Amino acid sequence: MTRNDSSLFTRLAVLVSLVLCVGATALASAAWYYARAAADDAYDRVLKGAALQMADSLTVDGGELIVDLPASAFELLGLAERDRLFYRIVDPEGKTLTGYADLASGSDLSAVRSDPVVQNGSYSGDPVRIVVVARAFSDPALSGWAHVIVAQTTEARRALAAELTTRAVLLVLIMSVMALAGTALAIRYALQPVWRLGAALNSRDSQDLKPIEVDMPREMRPFVGSINHFMGRLERRVSQLERFIADAAHQIRTPLTALTAQVDLLGHDRLGPEARQHLERVQQRAEELARLTNQLLSHAMVIHRADAVRLAPVNLVDIARRAFRAAVPITLSPDIIVSFEADESDPRVLGDAVSLREAIVNVIDNALRHGTLSRLEVKVSSQAGNAVIEVEDDGPGIPREAWESVTQRFATPKQNGGTAGLGFSIAAEVASAHGGTLGFRERNEHGFVVVLTLPLLTGEGD
Amino acid sequence: MRILLVEDTRDVGEAIARRFKAIGHSVDWETSGAAAADILDSTGYDLVILDVMLPELDGFEILRRLRRAKSPAPVLVLTARSEVEDRVEALDLGADDYLLKPFDFRELEARARVLMRRHAGEPTNIIQCGDIILDRASRSARVGRREIQLKRREISLLEILASRPGRVFSKDELLQSLFGFDEDVSPNAVELYIGRLRKKLDCAKARIVTLRGVGYQMVPDDTE
Repeated sequence: MTRNDSSLFTRLAVLVSLVLCVGATALASAAWYYARAAADDAYDRVLKGAALQMADSLTVDGGELIVDLPASAFELLGLAERDRLFYRIVDPEGKTLTGYADLASGSDLSAVRSDPVVQNGSYSGDPVRIVVVARAFSDPALSGWAHVIVAQTTEARRALAAELTTRAVLLVLIMSVMALAGTALAIRYALQPVWRLGAALNSRDSQDLKPIEVDMPREMRPFVGSINHFMGRLERRVSQLERFIADAAHQIRTPLTALTAQVDLLGHDRLGPEARQHLERVQQRAEELARLTNQLLSHAMVIHRADAVRLAPVNLVDIARRAFRAAVPITLSPDIIVSFEADESDPRVLGDAVSLREAIVNVIDNALRHGTLSRLEVKVSSQAGNAVIEVEDDGPGIPREAWESVTQRFATPKQNGGTAGLGFSIAAEVASAHGGTLGFRERNEHGFVVVLTLPLLTGEGD
Repeated sequence: MRILLVEDTRDVGEAIARRFKAIGHSVDWETSGAAAADILDSTGYDLVILDVMLPELDGFEILRRLRRAKSPAPVLVLTARSEVEDRVEALDLGADDYLLKPFDFRELEARARVLMRRHAGEPTNIIQCGDIILDRASRSARVGRREIQLKRREISLLEILASRPGRVFSKDELLQSLFGFDEDVSPNAVELYIGRLRKKLDCAKARIVTLRGVGYQMVPDDTE
């Protein structure tokens, strides 16, 4: 039960069963009480009848009290087979005429004159029910009150009470179980809309922020209302962010392009050596700024797209080849050998083509800027259920202890100087959004490899 | 060559126009999309450099019109947009290449040159020798499944050698084919390009063989 602490179903079920338990206990006690009373009542009547018959059979003859016990008095009592019967008849003087002399009446004999008294007592260690009946004699020879005391062991009445109680408890139990089952069904039924709402929310596309339109009972409407309200706010946020990134991209890139354009117009040849040096620095800085801007925007875009774009089956070789062509400048030094290789597996993944291309472009760009001395190789292949893109260069590589930090924003591999910026961070972000990883392979005699691993698309369709 | 530049930012347009004029092209520069679309209806160009964000008619729309009209002019798209909201890419709309602003002007010039050469009817047929496949369109040579990027002169050199395997080309012959008569280049340049090409085609099943004092030839390893 600890596991389902916060389950509505469990809460309701526990509460209802508690109430049912208390109720059932109370009912069982009541049943037991009434059963005993009923059993006593029934057997007491017989007992009283027997005692009265015995009292009636007392006659006075010549000043002597004569006892002539009628058989019929015992017939009725014989119905309780297992019970034993004790009696005692006391004459007006208080002497025991017949029966067990040690059978105590248990009460004041004078109190029973108007009505027979029935009460509990015990005889020779067994619990008994005792009835005392009084009879008045007004014979001149014998006057006063004679008493008949009859006691009966209680086995039969206990048995009857127990049987009645058991039946009643059984009925109570059956009713409780039915009530519990009914409650469980009712709760399940009542909670169904919650499940339906959850399912409706889960089955949505991540970029679908339209209000929920599922038929809901009245009680659920405030809940759905707040979800829809939240959806609306989220959608506004998302589109605001989208607009912001788009605006920022255009608004920053345009003047930056103008700046580099104007610097380009200055031209090296017409300047003196000192001015040329300054110009070169301006060019360098402008280039840095441009790269950083592109990376920041690309980072924002990639993060945004991770939540907002529906993944589709894409051909990774096509994407990687495009990225390769976009990332390798034509103006690259001719002494650098740049190659692209895809194996025959033609890996397909579930992904966002734009983000994936951005990730690959950034890894290649990083390798060209900070790694490559004379060779850069891009390879696409399938390995053990994964699509793997390897970017290998013959540069110094990144030491193992820096692997983790370079995938964070603005981490700098020390030996390269300058900032590695956001390149690996973008690639790592995209990889994780696609359920993949960005990793590195230790520098060996061949080169240093950055590995982008993405889970292969299994089966057809999306 | 005749270039149409469509760019609404003055500073950028000015620099691009100046650069291409400086290397001998004639440049028409339009700042509005509508004007550019008009002029494209009536005039043929060897290259269109197209900014995406334009007043009146955006670059994608011009590109769409151009392709609908089956114009063969190569288009190089310049974009300052982030792809945060773009569902289609310039390349999918029929652009031949694109550059993200801000770009390196040398890179722009180099890419423009590639597009114009291709447009000028430079042979795009595929040449094969051994397991080397030369593909001019992608500026690369394929060795098996590996694609190696090549420079313009490396492509020309490989083309000459690979189109007639076994034939020996003298250094002077190659020098003329690569640089023409006008350029004053040292014969060592041929050695330089041969060296680079050899390195790039390292594990191919065809070799460039040097015949001392005679010249170079391409030999496929058919015997192995």
